[in-house]
Amino acid sequence: MKEIDARGLACPAPVLQTKAFLQEENLGSVKVIVDNAASQQNVQRFLESQGFQTALEQNGTDYLVIGTCDAEQQTQIQLPQEREAEDKKIMVMCATDRIGFGDEELGLKLMISFIKTLKEMGPELWRLVFVNNGVKLTIDGSEALGDLKDFENDGLKILVCGTCLTHFGLLEAKKVGETTNMLDIVTAMQLADKVINI
Amino acid sequence: MVFPTDENVIVGLDRADDAGVYKISDDLALIQTVDFFTPIVDDPYWFGQIAAANALSDVYAMGGTPKTAMNLVAFPVKQMDLSVLRQIIQGGLDKLTEAEVVLIGGHSIEDKELKYGLSVTGIVHPSRVLTKKNLWPGDRLILTKPLGTGIVNTAIKAGMASVDLTDKVTHLMASLNRDAARIMSRFDVHACTDVTGFGLIGHIAEMVCGSNMSVRIFSEQVPVISEALEFASMGLIPAGAYKNREFRESMVGFSKTVERSLQDVLVDPQTSGGLLITVDRVQADALVKALQDAGISDTAEIGDVLKDPEEKIWVV
Repeated sequence: MKEIDARGLACPAPVLQTKAFLQEENLGSVKVIVDNAASQQNVQRFLESQGFQTALEQNGTDYLVIGTCDAEQQTQIQLPQEREAEDKKIMVMCATDRIGFGDEELGLKLMISFIKTLKEMGPELWRLVFVNNGVKLTIDGSEALGDLKDFENDGLKILVCGTCLTHFGLLEAKKVGETTNMLDIVTAMQLADKVINI
Repeated sequence: MVFPTDENVIVGLDRADDAGVYKISDDLALIQTVDFFTPIVDDPYWFGQIAAANALSDVYAMGGTPKTAMNLVAFPVKQMDLSVLRQIIQGGLDKLTEAEVVLIGGHSIEDKELKYGLSVTGIVHPSRVLTKKNLWPGDRLILTKPLGTGIVNTAIKAGMASVDLTDKVTHLMASLNRDAARIMSRFDVHACTDVTGFGLIGHIAEMVCGSNMSVRIFSEQVPVISEALEFASMGLIPAGAYKNREFRESMVGFSKTVERSLQDVLVDPQTSGGLLITVDRVQADALVKALQDAGISDTAEIGDVLKDPEEKIWVV
């Protein structure tokens, strides 16, 4: 493994030295040694922005960052971007996994179709929040999971109520979205131009 | 250490505010402050301007009007051409003139490292002094300049910032907080400080400590130099930002939806940053509008004050 010794250098020099090194040769793995925690974190973040996976070690006064990456991955990795702020921000909050009352099967079918059709809102769809029974749409085996993952890959922020997941014992089963709390949800409501409740 | 005081000291060392305030008579108090640093931009003329704007800012943040200034210079006479010093002082002088402040003296020494700054004296009515410590429940927080100068300066050092961006940030750091201060004096402002080395979070923390209040920051509303987010995600972050974060870690809660690079910008040390103002909620919109209308276009309402003895900063 190639070693870069950037001890005795202040920010941003260790990052620059690492960058120069990567530009010269296509490395699959690299070890960078610095002498302070701030430089260590900066180098870690630089390597991660270049598609490396990183591990940190500390050895006395030496701080190490070990980066590894498959050569093919090293070309710029596309990270999902937060959607541009459009004129309008719409927040959709689902407190149920069924639409309407009566026939359960029909209710579920409508819900799956609703999630799928939300795409038509385009970039105005800004937050998708799941609370109470709604969190069941985000777990393993949910028919809406595919569409929700597409939304997330597209950069939409999906918030899933942590209290609800815990209540149903589904914390581990959640497969999409960020676990969130009531303060986040209330804040999102405050910032949104329109809140739609299902 | 014990610092002797007298009954005319309105703001002294025990308060650790932006400047000291001393009452001369029932309707006049002096504001005194001093600040100097090593160059933060390559161009000596602009460095002079930024140093002056930065030193003046402390007087504006106390609600006062700066009147006189004195230069502080440390200069490596043997290594550097005197024309560099002349340009720095010219930059400072031009900024003082813009602020209608007169330079009435100064002192210089020989030093290995170049340093420049100013001591500034201003005036204020004793009952109109604005300190950091006066938060009320429901107050709104307003910030007048975008954040990210520390990160962008690191990127400039790394040779990774464009000429346009370098220019933009230089102008931003050199711009006076005078107009913002004048405008806020027409409103029911409760507290004020300027955002500098401790970063936004650090300066809010100073407001929060001992206030029996917590502050909520709406991270998406905070004005930010957009390129700073990109540089932060590449690790071009000054060591001071890590120190600021660590120092206030116990009182700050970041919501999971706040991206790491935005968190870095919120603790990024600023040079000659904007005013951080708390104002009665009823007047918040009008104050933001007045500031924007005056051309301070990055101004935004960034948070609010909650009655909460925990004294936390919630970033949502």
